[in-house]
Amino acid sequence: MQLGWGPEEEAFRSELVAFLDEYAPPEALVVRDFADDDAAGDGATGMAIPDWARKWQATLFDHGWMIPAYPPELGGRNCTPIQTLVYLEEMARRSIPRSLHFPGYAIVAPSLLEFGTPAQQALAPAAIRGDAVWCIGMSEPNAGSDLAGLQTRAAVHDDHFVVNGQKVWTSYAAVAQKCFCYVRTDPDAPKHRGISLLILDMETPGIEIRPLRHITGAANFAEVFFTDVTVPRDNLVGALDDGWRLTQGSLAHERAGLWVESVTRLEHTVGSLIALAQRRGVDRDPVVRRRLAETYERAASLRALGYKGFASYAQGSAAPEHSYMKMATSELGKACFELGMELQGAYGAVVDTERGEEQGRWAHGFFVSFASTIAGGSAEIQRNIIAQRVLGLPRS
Amino acid sequence: MRAHIDDPAAADPLWEHLRGYAALGGGPLTDLHLFLEEIGYVAAPGPFLPTAALFAPLLQAIDDDLTPAVLDGDVTGTVALAGSDGVWTPNDDPVKTFVAEADRVDWVAVVSSEPAVTLVASPPVRRVATIDPSRRLFEVDTHGIESSATVALDGDVVDALVERATVALAAEMVGTARRLFDMTLAYAKERIQFDAPIGSFQAIQHKLADMALELERATSAVQYAAMAIDADDAERHRATHVAKAAAGAAATRAAKDGIQIHGGIGYTWEHDLHLFIRRAYGAEHWFGTRGEHLDRLADRVL
Repeated sequence: MQLGWGPEEEAFRSELVAFLDEYAPPEALVVRDFADDDAAGDGATGMAIPDWARKWQATLFDHGWMIPAYPPELGGRNCTPIQTLVYLEEMARRSIPRSLHFPGYAIVAPSLLEFGTPAQQALAPAAIRGDAVWCIGMSEPNAGSDLAGLQTRAAVHDDHFVVNGQKVWTSYAAVAQKCFCYVRTDPDAPKHRGISLLILDMETPGIEIRPLRHITGAANFAEVFFTDVTVPRDNLVGALDDGWRLTQGSLAHERAGLWVESVTRLEHTVGSLIALAQRRGVDRDPVVRRRLAETYERAASLRALGYKGFASYAQGSAAPEHSYMKMATSELGKACFELGMELQGAYGAVVDTERGEEQGRWAHGFFVSFASTIAGGSAEIQRNIIAQRVLGLPRS
Repeated sequence: MRAHIDDPAAADPLWEHLRGYAALGGGPLTDLHLFLEEIGYVAAPGPFLPTAALFAPLLQAIDDDLTPAVLDGDVTGTVALAGSDGVWTPNDDPVKTFVAEADRVDWVAVVSSEPAVTLVASPPVRRVATIDPSRRLFEVDTHGIESSATVALDGDVVDALVERATVALAAEMVGTARRLFDMTLAYAKERIQFDAPIGSFQAIQHKLADMALELERATSAVQYAAMAIDADDAERHRATHVAKAAAGAAATRAAKDGIQIHGGIGYTWEHDLHLFIRRAYGAEHWFGTRGEHLDRLADRVL
């Protein structure tokens, strides 16, 4: 018995590695604590997606390495699930991002391909290649965890909709050309039933974007206000009032492997923590040693859990394991950054570029990590989902 | 199980059944560990784990003539190694501790510091009472033991044996944790308070979600460790510590939160819950606690 991939998978990996060695730009090789670390601007200018990242995403697409499970015309090479996992594994190991804006390739394109009209499906390649930047209009001031409570209203007319309302925490809104926007089309229906999904052109009159400066001081999301925004009827995705079902859409081909990136990032963080403890001379402290070992143990067992879930998925079974991964990796990441601060004593709170450790990486990372247990379904909502969908407990 | 608390012979019919699976002790850990999960799920008493996960691999390693009989389930055995500190490393202490089923197995394999192994039948033993009556643990006094044959061991053999047994125990613990979790989940669905199943309350749902996560990651960590050991992979040492530490976290959390969710009924002797809580905590303290394994893991990663 041997632990590892077989010769076919390793041959596939070599092909990928050869491509990466030849084409990956130096900026893509910089190890980041978070996926979109450098896709952030300041509060005044909003965010920008760096030029190298746009070119890199297009290069990946053109060579069939953007979404390997897709066919070449969608930036892939018809890979099997196992090849996709090897791909995600290798990209994560080298800490190479595919894109610095995830909504287009990870959420919009798969949903368009599954639910869109032929004209809407035609938007998918540009979304995957990154030629068009998308934002997703989901959260609202009064619809966070209770997403189905969204109130942005779209009045239904014969050949168009008129949208009024507000979205918030809209990532990439300031740089997006299009918005995948969930709106209420039937205010009288039960809240999950009256929602529809529209494609909005961000240039449409009546859309106002206010960059929202977040806790770290950067601004990579925004508030978006809609005032009498006219949207053609053709921009309705799926059936009218059937939008809630579409909120579940994401990259099904990769769902079983997306944990690889977060677990690899965690392992990298744990390694950095150990190096930090050694530099600070606290690595002989028994309490520190045990706590570092605990982060290692948690990351290692989560990797095992991810592979176990993948094995079920690859054999065609449901893989409830993956429900646990987001909650577990985000909470562990947060704990790692806090420990990194703690190991530095008085310097733990220092973010001075010329003092303390790693230009304040640990304190900065800790603050950024707050988002990881809130965004995309808070850790509490994840627990509800596990309890109700995996464990079969009744809803309250 | 309850009868076994007062009379260990009550578990003999179970062994008559389990002996047919003793051969698993001579095969890959990836097979044995699945079986041991079920042993832990029912908190089975008796000599299965010491025979299949300790005695059989030790005999195999020294190519002892008894090996086929052990793998056929005709002969039972246990291993005496830990000294007065209860740690499973070779030592000179004349009294060996935490030896499972030492009074009822056919052979006790005493491992001394050289290291070397001596097979002894019926050595003087003393039962040490623990919280877990389903696993009977003994001190074995090796003073004046007469033996015809002592076989020298390679130090690596002892390390590998203890590593294997540690992962085997972790597999058992995952089974016990799953039992505690299943009992608790079922109870949360049926117990009505405030006119609703208590499992519909978020406080209970979140506890169960956390228990489930600990259980799932421990299950996976143990499976991975078993694979690493079977493959003789360089990761096997770290994976062993991760597995036992994760199994400890899962089992003790399932025990604590399990009884908390059961409430008063879980606190009774009559309810079976405590039998599994006892098994969980007993196992947590055998072959190294979570804390001890984290410390040894630290020695390997720092």
